[in-house]
Amino acid sequence: MSQEDLTPLISPRSVALVGASPKQASVGYVLFENLANRFKGTAYFVNPKYDVVEAWGRQFKFYKSLSEVPDPVDVAVIAVPAQVVPQVLEEAGKKGVKAAVIISSGFAEVGNVELENEIRAIGKMYGIRILGPNCLGVYNAFNGFDTVFLPAERAGRPPAGPLALISQSGAVAASIMDWAARRNIGLSIMVNYGNKADVGDVELLRYLERDDRIKVITVYMEGFKYPGEARRFLEAAKEVVKKKPIIAYKAGRSAAAQRAVKSHTAALAGSYEMYRGLFRQAGIIEAANLRDMFDMAKALATQPLPRGRRVLVLTDSGGMGIQAVDALEALGLEVPEIPESIRRELRKELLPFSALSNPVDVTGSATDQHYKVVLEALLPTAFFDMALIVTLMQVPGLTQNLAEYIIDAKRFKKPIVVVNFGGSQMVQEFTRTLEEAEIPTYSTPDRAAKALWALHEYAKIRGMVRT
Amino acid sequence: MSAIERAKAEGRNKLYEHEAFELLARYSIPVPEFGVAKDEDEAVSLAEKIGYPVAVKVVSRQIVHKTDVGGVVLGISDSKALLEACRKIKENVKARAPYAEIEGCLIQKMVPSGVELIIGAVYDEIFGHVVAFGLGGVLTELYRDVSMRLVPIEEEDAWEMIREVKAYRLLTGYRGTPPRDMPAIVDIIVKFSRLLAENPAIREADLNPVIALEEGKGAYVVDARFLLDGEAL
Repeated sequence: MSQEDLTPLISPRSVALVGASPKQASVGYVLFENLANRFKGTAYFVNPKYDVVEAWGRQFKFYKSLSEVPDPVDVAVIAVPAQVVPQVLEEAGKKGVKAAVIISSGFAEVGNVELENEIRAIGKMYGIRILGPNCLGVYNAFNGFDTVFLPAERAGRPPAGPLALISQSGAVAASIMDWAARRNIGLSIMVNYGNKADVGDVELLRYLERDDRIKVITVYMEGFKYPGEARRFLEAAKEVVKKKPIIAYKAGRSAAAQRAVKSHTAALAGSYEMYRGLFRQAGIIEAANLRDMFDMAKALATQPLPRGRRVLVLTDSGGMGIQAVDALEALGLEVPEIPESIRRELRKELLPFSALSNPVDVTGSATDQHYKVVLEALLPTAFFDMALIVTLMQVPGLTQNLAEYIIDAKRFKKPIVVVNFGGSQMVQEFTRTLEEAEIPTYSTPDRAAKALWALHEYAKIRGMVRT
Repeated sequence: MSAIERAKAEGRNKLYEHEAFELLARYSIPVPEFGVAKDEDEAVSLAEKIGYPVAVKVVSRQIVHKTDVGGVVLGISDSKALLEACRKIKENVKARAPYAEIEGCLIQKMVPSGVELIIGAVYDEIFGHVVAFGLGGVLTELYRDVSMRLVPIEEEDAWEMIREVKAYRLLTGYRGTPPRDMPAIVDIIVKFSRLLAENPAIREADLNPVIALEEGKGAYVVDARFLLDGEAL
């Protein structure tokens, strides 16, 4: 296996946890629990203080050291005090372990640069790829490899799905995972690289590029660290976006925030404008904030790409329709008129007071059937590239059946996003039905508009837009 | 010897403006016709060769901001005005920068007025050379209306750079002003990127202003400043 391949690190078949502990409320315990109960490969536990540990109605053998582990190991997860890490890594090297996740802190982030250089050198010598130190490491929903040392009941673990996250911040990563888990958003792989002694954004992008189960890569970034790193990132990202979209959120835009970034990650320099230029050059879609990042990711993971910028807005609320048009046009998308010929046809089937321009307003007296008629008459035509549908379910004439009509419109192979706002049981049920059928829903028109913008942006990056 | 090698050999970390023009010209970046005159006689014959109108700028390694010391005269239309300009520059420099040694005068052809642009570059350890593009004037600074790209910049990147700034509409023609020669601007950005990539010693560069003329008439770098790595002796 080549050293470039991060499979042993991200998707290992066998793991040794050095620093496993039966003492509850410790890092070593949470990792022990993760790997003992949810990892789908083979896990070995190392701690010289124990021989056999009983937990969850089972008995676990604890090894005295890594070298005592009888079988080959893909990755060592190391959670021992910083000064012991070089020795453990050395042992891992002698055993032929291919990768290490170093959870321990106490390295460059507290000024201990020499210790960090030492582990980097050991890694190089034995060909061990290192993630960390001072990191959460990896969460992999596909095979249950989980080095996040926060208890699952406090920090939720999202289900498998099309998204991956590379995060410079551990806490941000954990809160995104928790948030995604509560919303059932499929975030399969999360990697937090901490001090980035070895593996960083560049290697991770290249790894995620090759995993076909991942449809969208999201990146939370504070700042680069090493000379020439921006160029390497640019080159890698340019390749990756030919296969799948990357959405990045760069924290630390103001001068004050940039100072905070510097002290947080010891990241060097580069103004926010340089990052913005880099993202555009690479074909990376930039998010305004974390919510925006996942709003766009949801659409990119599920929708086909539009071939142009013309949006059909279909609504049962004039006010929501106007907001949608404002947001779409501000983002450079178009909301063109409905051709007269089709308008004449539609007039026969809709209520007399419906507005037949764009937005098409089927009004508060709308029925499910009205949405179906408009979608079928307009979306499959050459006049529109995508649809933004507002369904305020508070009006009396709409039923759950509307979801089926919208889902049915997927056969036109054009992007569809839905705005659905409210708290009733019915609204929630409606939203769930759509989301399960991979129709992204948003609570406000501007968020839905931004999602369509992202689809159009990525279509441009891929050269799929007709001009 | 290239301008950069010469500057380094002489212990300078700045290029003279005529050296900057030579460097730009080597990469086929359009600069106005220019030459350096040691005295008034040379100035007159040089101006006649170049053709009026011309601009005169003082050449002195001690002077960074030539305008601040009255070392620049623009729009000179004949030899009488040229001699007057040379005299005035000497007088100004003597009064405002008495420490400066005048090595001569840079004579350059006046470029007609157009839209003034700034194309700059900095070297950042992490990003490498980064090129910034914006329109000239105070508003660019006020709104931070600049676009940036990492070297190497390809043609398509350069097009995006100019389309990205809000002031782009001034280039397409705005309220009766004519559209500008955009391919010429893109061409300068791409060639400037190549210049930077091949000269890693450059730490900062400012092409300011670059004057964009009407469609088909080109764009010219009218003023250029290069800062190199290493301390000045």
